[in-house]
Amino acid sequence: MLSRVADSLYWMSRYMERADGILRMLKINYASSQDDIQEFSWKPVLRIFTALTDAEATALANDNRGVLQFMVTDKDNPNSVLNIVTQARENGRSVQDHITKEMWQCLNDFYHTIRQQKLVELLQQEDPITVLDTLIKLGLLYFGTTDVTMARGEGSAFINIGKFLERAIQSADILDIKFSDLNYELDKPADTTYWKYLLMSISGYELYLKTYRSGFGAKNVMEQIILNENFPRSVVYSINHLHHYFERLKNEKNISGFNHLNFMIGKVQSKIKFSTPDAIIHEGLHHFLVETKSSLFQIGNALNQNYFAHG
Amino acid sequence: MQASELVQSYLVEPNTWDEMYKDTSVREQYKKAIEFLQRLSIDELNKKEELAKRLFMSQGITFTVYSSGEGIEKIFPFDIIPRIITASEWDFIEKGIKQRLRALNLFLKDIYSNQFIIKDGVIPAQMIYSCPHYLREMHNFPVPYDIYVHISGIDLIRDSDGSFYILEDNLRTPSGVSYMLENREITKRIFPDLLPKNNVRTVTEYPNILHRNLVSLSPRQIYNPTIVLLTPGIYNSAYFEHTTLARLMGVELVEGRDLVVDNHKVYMKTTAGLQQVDVIYRRVDDDYLDPLMFDPKSMLGVSGIMSAYRKGNVAIVNAVGNGVADDKAIYTFVPAMIRYYLNEEPILKNVPTYQLGKDDEREYVFKNIERMVIKKTNASGGYGMLMGNSATEKEIDEYKKEVLHNPREFIAQPIISLSSSPCYMNGKLQPRRVDLRPYALCGPGGIEIVPGGLTRVALKEGSLVVNSSQGGGSKDTWVLADQ
Repeated sequence: MLSRVADSLYWMSRYMERADGILRMLKINYASSQDDIQEFSWKPVLRIFTALTDAEATALANDNRGVLQFMVTDKDNPNSVLNIVTQARENGRSVQDHITKEMWQCLNDFYHTIRQQKLVELLQQEDPITVLDTLIKLGLLYFGTTDVTMARGEGSAFINIGKFLERAIQSADILDIKFSDLNYELDKPADTTYWKYLLMSISGYELYLKTYRSGFGAKNVMEQIILNENFPRSVVYSINHLHHYFERLKNEKNISGFNHLNFMIGKVQSKIKFSTPDAIIHEGLHHFLVETKSSLFQIGNALNQNYFAHG
Repeated sequence: MQASELVQSYLVEPNTWDEMYKDTSVREQYKKAIEFLQRLSIDELNKKEELAKRLFMSQGITFTVYSSGEGIEKIFPFDIIPRIITASEWDFIEKGIKQRLRALNLFLKDIYSNQFIIKDGVIPAQMIYSCPHYLREMHNFPVPYDIYVHISGIDLIRDSDGSFYILEDNLRTPSGVSYMLENREITKRIFPDLLPKNNVRTVTEYPNILHRNLVSLSPRQIYNPTIVLLTPGIYNSAYFEHTTLARLMGVELVEGRDLVVDNHKVYMKTTAGLQQVDVIYRRVDDDYLDPLMFDPKSMLGVSGIMSAYRKGNVAIVNAVGNGVADDKAIYTFVPAMIRYYLNEEPILKNVPTYQLGKDDEREYVFKNIERMVIKKTNASGGYGMLMGNSATEKEIDEYKKEVLHNPREFIAQPIISLSSSPCYMNGKLQPRRVDLRPYALCGPGGIEIVPGGLTRVALKEGSLVVNSSQGGGSKDTWVLADQ
């Protein structure tokens, strides 16, 4: 496979995963803003998913419709869903002969839908959840179509590597920023709804209820999001899958690059796999998350050097 | 309102061959299709038109227009009413194009080697050497199987008596074949069952034939040679076509930056290291192909690719230097070529063409300018031409000045009326002018022409210019099988 093609597939996939993460986050946070929680603020979301300064984020933090407009359809916000989907589609466009026609149509439909002026109006005047659901479904259609139609070759491996690397970074980010609101004091009692909405935004609420019968606690939330191997948005799940798909790239022709990356992925995977909630608390949650993210970024760079370098 | 009324209100322009109507009755080949349309209501027809637009949009069959900093996606206008060609008309076209291509191929081989045609005085040497697309670099370089024109898109038009004329020979990187394929797919969706009922011949073999020909050109005699399609990239207006063809043939779509030449061999950069490339179907023009040999500023090409080509380590399709054969000034000599190389009479006629480089012909053209179209010999896409019947006096004066500056670069032809074909517009059937571009593929086994082609249509009322860059659209083109 061409290096340029692998690069584009990887980024197409990362952008689609990111769009999905943002849309879910927006949907649940909007719902929680309607739930009359005192001190509801968009600030954590803006800190994770935008490059706004603290002052800009504060100014926007309580303006529901303003945040939605900025995060979904704003042309000047490079991290708006509009721009992220455009990036995904541009990457897809340059590798149309490596994805299936159905996938290309999904990307294309998503792109044309989110560019409609009508959407901006609906988002301002109608029920935003309906709009966000429409967009989330377009994303799901892409994920499902990819799963059902894409051949399990090298291209599919790069798509999954991009997807799970992006997801691992996103989950670590979400956790880091949510806990920074509490100054990483895991014993501090927080509002139950706070945890409820955090879990809902990453589709982990029901699983939490089934796993932990004793109500909400910061430590349990942290355990599920980092260490639960069955939770598809957990850090460990994402890294396990990242490793699984990376191993498919094993090829005699690029053995040194493969070994180098395999070592890096294995290292961060082991570190997380053999952690416990107590060990993480002992190390310091913030420190643990920063280390993990840094390893993930290094993996991204190494992929670039060993597989995508086409300069 | 029923569609039946629309057909009755169809008015053919005088002195024009209409593809559907003869006098006041519908031609045999259109009868079934028109009967089908007449059973539909206007609402249904409008819905079908909408569906066609939606299908083009969602499949990304679009080109991008950049204005005020953002890209706007547009679809090439598509008219839902097919253009229908009978079996006997097709038979004639096919024979004529094959004959013409045989001669043009021999001409290219000759002109880049012995140049008998110059020595025998059939074409003046000056005509060849003054052509900007004539490449000395190609001299005495045997291309595989002596094939220069692997893919051609020769444009045909019909005069008021219905006879076919060759408008121009596109022998470099003719485009539009993806529209031949996609238009047919759209027709399948908007008019279910209509194709088999009319006994329309299929066009889907095109990518398979092309792929087979490309494989056969591989310099390495191996089981699975590496074929690539070289595109200028996503900003090229034909990018959609490049991806479609790459996908349909299952070959790699590459850009110049994906390729590298080492020791006169071409490689592509893959995730598993370098992989040797055997055949390049390039959609990059000669000028940009190799910065070491042609335009040194080109970012689209590959340094050293011409040396690999000359060493025979890679095949390039179409061959480099073909521009000398589809130059608009050389066009005049094609009938003479057919007689010279094949000892046959040309089957398809040329449009009479005047060389503005010749004083007497230029004088004649200037005198009759209102009946003439003047074109630049090395331009395409409908750019830089003057329609004498519709230009203002000022435009004509300015154009004349430009001509006198370098007369060799211009030719003139009498304005041929072009046949008209019904188009569905604003709820009515209206006649619009069309041309026809069949795609011929030439491989070691001979020339094959997929039954069909691209019908381009001038969407503006009365317009004779069909180029997509000048407001033209396209139609699905049906070639009927023998009954």
